[in-house]
Amino acid sequence: MRPLKVLLPGLLAVAALVGAGCGSGNDNGGGGSGSPIKVGASLPLTGDFSEPGKAAKQGYQVWQAIVNEKGGLVDGRKVKMVIKDDASNQNTIVADYNALISKDKVNLLLGTFSSLLNLPASSVAERNRMLYVEPAGGSPEMFSRGFKYLFFAQQATADHQGDVFADYVKNLPANERPKTAAYPTLDDPFAQPTSQGIEKVLKAGGIKTVYRKTYTIDQKNFDSIANSVKASGADLVVHGATFEDGVGLVRALLKIGYTPKMLYQTTAPSLGDQYAKGIGKENTEGVFYAVSHSAKAKTPGNEQFVAKYKEMFGGTEVPEDAADAYAAAQVLQAAVKAIGGIDDQAKLADWLHKNKVDTILGPLNWDQAGRPQGKFLVGQWQNGAPEIVLPDAAATVDSPEPQWKPGGSGT
Amino acid sequence: MTEFLQTLILGLLVGGVYALLASGLTLIFGVMNVINIAHGAFLILAAFLTYSIWSATGLDPLAAIVITTPIMFVCGWVVYNLTLRRIRTGPAAATVLLTFGLALVVEGLMGIIWGNTAHAVTPPYVNQSFHIGSLFLPKAQVYGGLIAIAVLAALWIVLTRSWLGRAIRAAAVNPQGAALVGVNVSAVAAATFAVGVASAGAGGSIVSVLYPFLPGSHYVWISRLLGIIVLGGMGSLPGALIGALMLGLAETLTVTYISPAWATAVPYALVFVVLLARPHGILGTRLREDVVT
Repeated sequence: MRPLKVLLPGLLAVAALVGAGCGSGNDNGGGGSGSPIKVGASLPLTGDFSEPGKAAKQGYQVWQAIVNEKGGLVDGRKVKMVIKDDASNQNTIVADYNALISKDKVNLLLGTFSSLLNLPASSVAERNRMLYVEPAGGSPEMFSRGFKYLFFAQQATADHQGDVFADYVKNLPANERPKTAAYPTLDDPFAQPTSQGIEKVLKAGGIKTVYRKTYTIDQKNFDSIANSVKASGADLVVHGATFEDGVGLVRALLKIGYTPKMLYQTTAPSLGDQYAKGIGKENTEGVFYAVSHSAKAKTPGNEQFVAKYKEMFGGTEVPEDAADAYAAAQVLQAAVKAIGGIDDQAKLADWLHKNKVDTILGPLNWDQAGRPQGKFLVGQWQNGAPEIVLPDAAATVDSPEPQWKPGGSGT
Repeated sequence: MTEFLQTLILGLLVGGVYALLASGLTLIFGVMNVINIAHGAFLILAAFLTYSIWSATGLDPLAAIVITTPIMFVCGWVVYNLTLRRIRTGPAAATVLLTFGLALVVEGLMGIIWGNTAHAVTPPYVNQSFHIGSLFLPKAQVYGGLIAIAVLAALWIVLTRSWLGRAIRAAAVNPQGAALVGVNVSAVAAATFAVGVASAGAGGSIVSVLYPFLPGSHYVWISRLLGIIVLGGMGSLPGALIGALMLGLAETLTVTYISPAWATAVPYALVFVVLLARPHGILGTRLREDVVT
């Protein structure tokens, strides 16, 4: 056996490789009147966030196609997207956005996916005084830095994404309203604030917190957590989750035969077929979640977006991340059209601070820090399909079902 | 008391599966001095193979072990002969880098073939448990644990009762001596690597039933498995078993009695404390060269 210290250089080299990542992109020079307007973004096309990253790329591509079919963004100038791959890496994304600005000389920027990546990327944009509309990065800390060029193109930041659901629960008739709630939550800049936001509203509404624990991304075994949740006897479980842990906890609850009256999860249930396959379709009935987009929504331009998406990429489902990216581009487009140019980015930002923009997610408006001021949709699995249940105006079914009714629990 | 018993049971069940997953890694290190960073990637590859077999044929994913294990054995043998054989006697750092590269290649291939979305294998018993009084034993964990014990026992019998096993152990302890008595050390190394990767085949099938997985899941697994074999003593199969059970118990006890937020940190703190007392792990052996350098 070789002494372990011999291995150290190798392990350090591995760490360096892990940290380095790599980026690639298109190199396009030029500019000026009549030439295409270059819109740059770096997305996680490989690595941990590659699925949402690819969906976001599709959303941007659909926007590019629709804008160009209609004659361009402004002054008859068409859009040319310049998209790089940040490999889901925080260091690479900084290099990518710097390169987009200084080397590729893009005219406009669009954001990337996740708070983790938007945090450093938006700093690069702010330093260069360039408008930065981001499709997916709702962590509250994004907006506590006093940035002027940053805008989040969804309905609400993470801490308010569960507001509509919490209000619904709080106002249920007394015999249906849960009395206690458990909040197992992933340590994540999105999941945790959402769960805390819901707890704040429910606590004020008299629903007692009987369990609140945070776990890390490495957590694989949820049986012990489910056992503790069961011991708390909570009527309502609000789970701040991504995908793997979302599926893991539901499976663990089923294994121990514990069915809380109500179940709410972030992210996982919005992933459609993947979620149904993960926990079993029969167990999805009644699971609540927050969602930004519905393919069935009657928002302006949504029908055109859905049709174009299916034409370009096929399939039956339109990923939420593609819709969010499209909406971010719509926000950028609205500002450019209103100002009538792309040169004064401060003017674009000022206009967005003062105006409301119609998007496929519904109307969006922002405060001075770029926080959206709207309300998220509430989704629920009903009869094996994801539906929008709240608010009433956006609902795709008659009413929410207050109970989680898994079909395969216990033995 | 019931909660404590329940926590112990869950910890031991988790630890049993960890032991199987770590066995191949420690075996390969013990014989070849190779820290196979790609072990986690092979594990996830086997999980994806299980997913494909299960969704195409409906075969029980745990029964699919009889298919994934030989496939991964061949995969390990081919990978060894194409890559590792050339630098087997080179510096350990080179093999770490090479196997890390292999992990990235396997991850990329899995992304191309199966996509970067999470997959789950869900036979009917996946959400069910055995109940004994107020205690519950998740069926998938029990089946997985029993299979892990059976595979580990088979591995132990091969290592202690067969010619190949004796050759592997001889090559591990004294390669020059083994060569002198007619053992083809290079061929034994290839067989060992293949057996190690085959154990990841069995482990991957079990993992596919227990947890959702995606190509990038291997990073979490390799860090956990390295922790186990360092704790147990690198190269020691019984050490891996002890390390795995200790880590499994440490995880579940931490989740229940401290906080899930510490479920990753506390087991690694345990590794740290054990290494302070026993720098070569619980069953690790201090060799002459460790003293000399």
